[in-house]
Amino acid sequence: MIVLSYLAVGAIMLILIAFSKSHRTINAFTTLHTLVFLAIGLYALLNTTVPAFETGSEYFYVDHLSIYEGLIAALLFFFASVYANGYVESLIEAQELHRNNLKIFYLIFSALLTAATLAFFSDNLTLFWIFAELTTIFSAALVAILSAKENIDAAIKYIFIASGAMLFSFIGLTFLYTLSGEVLGSGSLNWTVLIENASLLSPKMMTASFVFLFIGFAAKSGIFPFHTWLPDAHSKAPSAVSAILSGVLLNIGMYGILRMYSIVRQTQAEHLISQFLMGFGLLTIAVAVLNMLWQNNLKMLIAFSSVEHMGVILLGIGIGTPLSLFWTLYYVLAHSLTKASLFFSAGILHRQYESNLIHDIRDIFSLQPVAGWGLIIGSFAIIGMPPFPIFSAKLFILLEAFGFSKPLVFAVLLLLVIASAAFARFLIEAFTRSSKEAGIEDSETPLLPYVVKRGMKFPLLSIIFIILALGVFFPEFLETLLNKIVYELGYL
Amino acid sequence: MITSFLADQALLEDIVRILFVFVLITAAFILSTRNIASLLTVYAVQSFLLTLIAASLYLIEGSEKLLAMAALTLVSKVLLIPLFINVIGEKIKISRDLEFNYLEPTASLLVSMGLIMLSYVFLSGFFDEYVLGKLFFVGAVIGLSLTLMGMLVIFSRKKVMTKVIGYLTMENGVLLFGIFVADLPFVIEILIVIDLMILVLLTTILAIGLDSTKNEYHKRLQTLKIWSGREE
Repeated sequence: MIVLSYLAVGAIMLILIAFSKSHRTINAFTTLHTLVFLAIGLYALLNTTVPAFETGSEYFYVDHLSIYEGLIAALLFFFASVYANGYVESLIEAQELHRNNLKIFYLIFSALLTAATLAFFSDNLTLFWIFAELTTIFSAALVAILSAKENIDAAIKYIFIASGAMLFSFIGLTFLYTLSGEVLGSGSLNWTVLIENASLLSPKMMTASFVFLFIGFAAKSGIFPFHTWLPDAHSKAPSAVSAILSGVLLNIGMYGILRMYSIVRQTQAEHLISQFLMGFGLLTIAVAVLNMLWQNNLKMLIAFSSVEHMGVILLGIGIGTPLSLFWTLYYVLAHSLTKASLFFSAGILHRQYESNLIHDIRDIFSLQPVAGWGLIIGSFAIIGMPPFPIFSAKLFILLEAFGFSKPLVFAVLLLLVIASAAFARFLIEAFTRSSKEAGIEDSETPLLPYVVKRGMKFPLLSIIFIILALGVFFPEFLETLLNKIVYELGYL
Repeated sequence: MITSFLADQALLEDIVRILFVFVLITAAFILSTRNIASLLTVYAVQSFLLTLIAASLYLIEGSEKLLAMAALTLVSKVLLIPLFINVIGEKIKISRDLEFNYLEPTASLLVSMGLIMLSYVFLSGFFDEYVLGKLFFVGAVIGLSLTLMGMLVIFSRKKVMTKVIGYLTMENGVLLFGIFVADLPFVIEILIVIDLMILVLLTTILAIGLDSTKNEYHKRLQTLKIWSGREE
């Protein structure tokens, strides 16, 4: 029922958007779409018995992990669609987005939400693969919709790297299929079947198929060395889309890795794969952080920070203890929300200065106080300062990592300090520049404040409120939910 | 006569092996050919070879699923996708892709030989402990090599249209892998092809955008009637 209602709502909303005329109605339907998806997710969480199979077949499966990821996706899409109302209007006024493309933007936006949600509810791994592929294509179209040359370049790079890597995942799936066929008689690619019989699977073949699957899912999440598309795509996309790319689409790859790892965890290959994941996690953090340090482009900085956080999440998955999984799951939520707030602030600043570069930003507190403070608070939250939720998540993941290797923890801590320095350096340099000090040439053309459109501040402020609340107060229902996920993935 | 020919398993397996070699030859062509029209023809030939492989396997194993796969490949990859790229290619008038990144054709052919060796060594490391059909193993090696060679095309060629063909070659490699374990539900096979078509559609539209200015791009899309909407 749940998956069917997602599908039905997704289809109806596409039709409604296709037949709407004005921007306001199109946006209203898109926002409605996200709200209904939120409602379905909450209903599934509160009123139905999960885990359960869906649609009477083995294709779809609902458990707490899929509901959790689905809810995060719907929440982020909700904020992004509210933000898009004003933001996209500004893009049209600035002639960066052609009015003819407006409807296409929302159609793809809406289809992207449906595809991403269904990916989380797929039990059959091939079906998951297909939905993940579709999200790549749809989101690449959203990156390219501004039809500036660099956007098309970024989108093409994104498609070829992410989709090309996903083909290797498919080889991994074929491996897995033969492997399960040897154990079960007839092959199966259903996650539920695989995890039930995980202990029977040959560790050698399991390692091979995991490595192939990892290539695709890692590329989707921007894990080194497949991260090269990410900074371009995330920084060139319209900010409402960037928030989704970082907050939802990266989670899809991580979700795939987590599901696969929970199978591997039951086999002899666990130790090797665990080290493999931690190694890539560390490398990813290192590469991202070094790119952040002298970054002069605000959105690039935020995008590389996404790469860094995916590295931490991969590390958390690789540690593989129940506690580290618990905090990794919490980390996913915290990162998605915080990253969205940063991109929303950056979007307002980009409208103001028509540039993301550090030396174009000046007089920020008199021109855009809300976005300025949003960026400051968001930066504090993203580098993991207390009382923000990323702090506790990082702390507990690193404490668990201590059990594995002390040098690893020290290396990560050092890298995190560099990441904080990168944000600090950017904020100090950009936020202390005023046009009075800058000299005559700047004072000749005083900047007019960009009037932030209705609804653009609401998502920013609400996210900041949510992360502050989450940081000081850990709600009980969230704890129960995360515990159930840890249990259902076979960790306890 | 014909029935006895079709029933001869050993002969059919040999035919499949020969077809594998032909597939590799097409991949080498794709790596080095400069003319986009002939690239497309080679891709269609490659897909047709896959159709033949699937059909021969049907004769060996008798699973109707393989016949359906053969038909699906024939319709989508031999006919529809090349036709579609051809239509777009004519509109945007790129006929040759002369530039190579990093690797010249000779070097990339040498690299791909290395890749084939690598796939063999890699896969034999995993498969020797299993009692798998020999043909499956050869198919896996060729499939993986084809995927890697397709990746090489994406890296070493500049024009997006050529990259698309490189991606399609990769996909053919994966299909070659998949033919041997072709018990996936047919719905899923169809979904994969639909996914492929959308990807080709999007990348080719973007390819139009890349070599034109913004206004020109919109004009071109209008003439293609792909983006709906009116001119103001």
